[in-house]
Amino acid sequence: MESLIKCLIDCLIGEKLKVLRVNAGYHAKRRLANLGIIPGVQIIKKKAAPFRGPIEVIVKGTSLVIGRGLAARIVVLSDNSK
Amino acid sequence: MQIHKSKNKQDKKKKKVKEFINIGLAGNANVGKSVIFNQLTGLSQTIGNWPGKTVEKMEGHLNSLGYRFNIVDLPGIYSLSTYSLEEIISREYLVSEEVDVIINVIDATNLERNLFFTFQLLELKVPMILAINQMDILRKRNLKLNFERLEEIFKLPVIPVVAVHGTGVYQLLEKAIELVVYHQPTSHYIQDGKKIHEQLSNNDKKVNNDLSIKERFHFPDLSSILKYGKEVETRIYELIKNIDIHLEYFSTFNYPSRFLAIKILENDEEIEKIFKANQKTIYIINLAENYRNELEELHGEDISTIISSEIYTNIHKIIEKVVIVKARGEKKLVWAEKLDHLTTHSFWGYIILILILAGIYFFTFLIGGFFGGLIEDFFEVLSNIIYSIYGEDDLWVKIFWEGGLGGFFGGLSGVLVYVIPFFLIIEFLQDSGYLPRAAYLMDRFMHSLGVHGKTIIPMILGFGCNVPACTGCRIMETEREKKISIALTSSIPCAAVMTVVLGLVGRYVGITWVLILFAINFIVIIITGKILNKILPGQCTELIMEVHQYRIPNYSVILKQTWIRTKEFIFKALPIIIITGFLLEIFFIFRLLDPINFILSPVTYYWLGLPAITGIFLIYGILRKELTLVLLAVLANSMGTTLVGLLNPLQMIIFSLVTMLYIPCFATIVLIAKETNWKYALQIAGLEIGIALLIGGILNWGLFFIFY
Repeated sequence: MESLIKCLIDCLIGEKLKVLRVNAGYHAKRRLANLGIIPGVQIIKKKAAPFRGPIEVIVKGTSLVIGRGLAARIVVLSDNSK
Repeated sequence: MQIHKSKNKQDKKKKKVKEFINIGLAGNANVGKSVIFNQLTGLSQTIGNWPGKTVEKMEGHLNSLGYRFNIVDLPGIYSLSTYSLEEIISREYLVSEEVDVIINVIDATNLERNLFFTFQLLELKVPMILAINQMDILRKRNLKLNFERLEEIFKLPVIPVVAVHGTGVYQLLEKAIELVVYHQPTSHYIQDGKKIHEQLSNNDKKVNNDLSIKERFHFPDLSSILKYGKEVETRIYELIKNIDIHLEYFSTFNYPSRFLAIKILENDEEIEKIFKANQKTIYIINLAENYRNELEELHGEDISTIISSEIYTNIHKIIEKVVIVKARGEKKLVWAEKLDHLTTHSFWGYIILILILAGIYFFTFLIGGFFGGLIEDFFEVLSNIIYSIYGEDDLWVKIFWEGGLGGFFGGLSGVLVYVIPFFLIIEFLQDSGYLPRAAYLMDRFMHSLGVHGKTIIPMILGFGCNVPACTGCRIMETEREKKISIALTSSIPCAAVMTVVLGLVGRYVGITWVLILFAINFIVIIITGKILNKILPGQCTELIMEVHQYRIPNYSVILKQTWIRTKEFIFKALPIIIITGFLLEIFFIFRLLDPINFILSPVTYYWLGLPAITGIFLIYGILRKELTLVLLAVLANSMGTTLVGLLNPLQMIIFSLVTMLYIPCFATIVLIAKETNWKYALQIAGLEIGIALLIGGILNWGLFFIFY
């Protein structure tokens, strides 16, 4: 029964997450919102590229690659209750 | 009688022009848009540019059911905002007079995200057909869609399509005719498609396309699904009221008032310009800003998040109504998942990337080399015949045969045979879905050069030929990244450069030096990137990219795309090659280039330690880099010696290095100028010449002591 607020890059691979906030600039934020990264949405962290590279997440059934700098500004709630 | 006949003919021609139906194909990237486009238009396609813009415009046409269709394949985008040039161009085009009907291609396996774009399109109030593609894959996943329900909800034609098999593709055209003829949608569940088909083909009074179809079209009332929450909706309503006061002004931009209201509320830069351009409407910008602040405070989110969330909520309601999960539950493609895992693996991913790069090169080189050889042999046989008739030293033979036709055959054997296999393999990589994976792997590294991972895609293309690769830099979102990408891509050693390096250094000096030369080339690319990253104003943006599941490439799309690109090359590049070949032969005959050797000798002879004659070869090399080696071989031949007799190993290394780095080829420079501007193209050329001379000189003076 543990709920944690973290940023996307600190989460484990395969973790189911809920997006809380995106603290990015106007353009990046709108782009992410258009692609479905909006507060409240469920995402899964699929993988992280080697050498501190980008993060791949599954959102609404599609894979989305997000640059590491941007991923660091996505705040998520990791739900480890199960 | 004769006159009467021709007049009749003219009338007929006139009538035909009016029967055009213009269709815009719109949808996300990777939804099978291009497959549908290919099915419909076949080989009639042309690639052009949007007027004044550097985004590719794919256009094709066909005659069907007595109508002539003009189809434009719009870029794959996710929204109608201002994220990229492609989005702005698409929305301006879709509301323009040029489009009668939109076909929105939707990936059935990814409805939620695809419908987000559909919702944006619906706000444009343009006659529209929803084509739900990849129905076969949906079925394999044990999912089903309720199409009757979908048509009830959208009140527009919704057609199931399996584009790869051509299923449902022509039905889209029938529906387009219906929309145009009846000025309102008719559900294909109510009316028999075949009957309409017959009725239309028997109907002599065809649609009169003089009047804008959009104006006469009764767009269905979709407010129930497009409606936002109350707070947002009341503010949009107020904005619409204010916009409608100045309707006369706004109607010139073709956007519906509601679309303008939403976009001005969203702080859309391009739409704001419309409001700014008229003194009387500037106040609406302030009004929208007030509303925006109110909403953002109310929701604690920024406006784009609020609106996107509301759209996704509306979509979710629809999905729940139309998607039916069959008893056995969802299935996934196992091989695609495994391949994805392997190609993005922290070790194997990079190995595969290197193998693919090598593969592009070997495939291009082997096939190109084989056919190039055949064509050259053929040209030689022809030459011998010509020489035996007219004599080898005849001036006209020299100019027309060696210059003109020699240029033509040179273009075929030296360039075209490499271009075709290269396009083939690139289309294969593109269609299978590999390229975004390379971007994912290289994102981190590319950031140190001031661009994000997507740049690796044009750079990979550069290994074959820099020319189409530089065109590929269009995918970059900002001007800054496009400029850096172009500079990096134009420095990639292309197939022609490889020919020189392998043919000279690889053959006579050894593979170690080949590898060293390539290492130097890549170091130069990295330094160029680092320098540009420092010089150019602005910041590196972050990568946001969809990665599509792997799929078995569609061979007909690959072949058609390859043919279309080849066709473009033949018509646009080959004439230039022939004309320059012609001119160079004239220069050569009248020894107009000799002074150049003299002028260049301080650089070539003293600084680089090369024979002075190489000056001309390097000039030729600007046209096509492999010419430097070809001319060297010709010279050696005429002197009765081989390349070894002409150049010592050190000179070979220097010569190859300079050829590799000194300048992008002529076609690339022209293309860079087209994509950016001449100033930037010349700056890049200058920078590369400088770097090549610097490194070449250092190597010359440094290695002198190693070899001697």
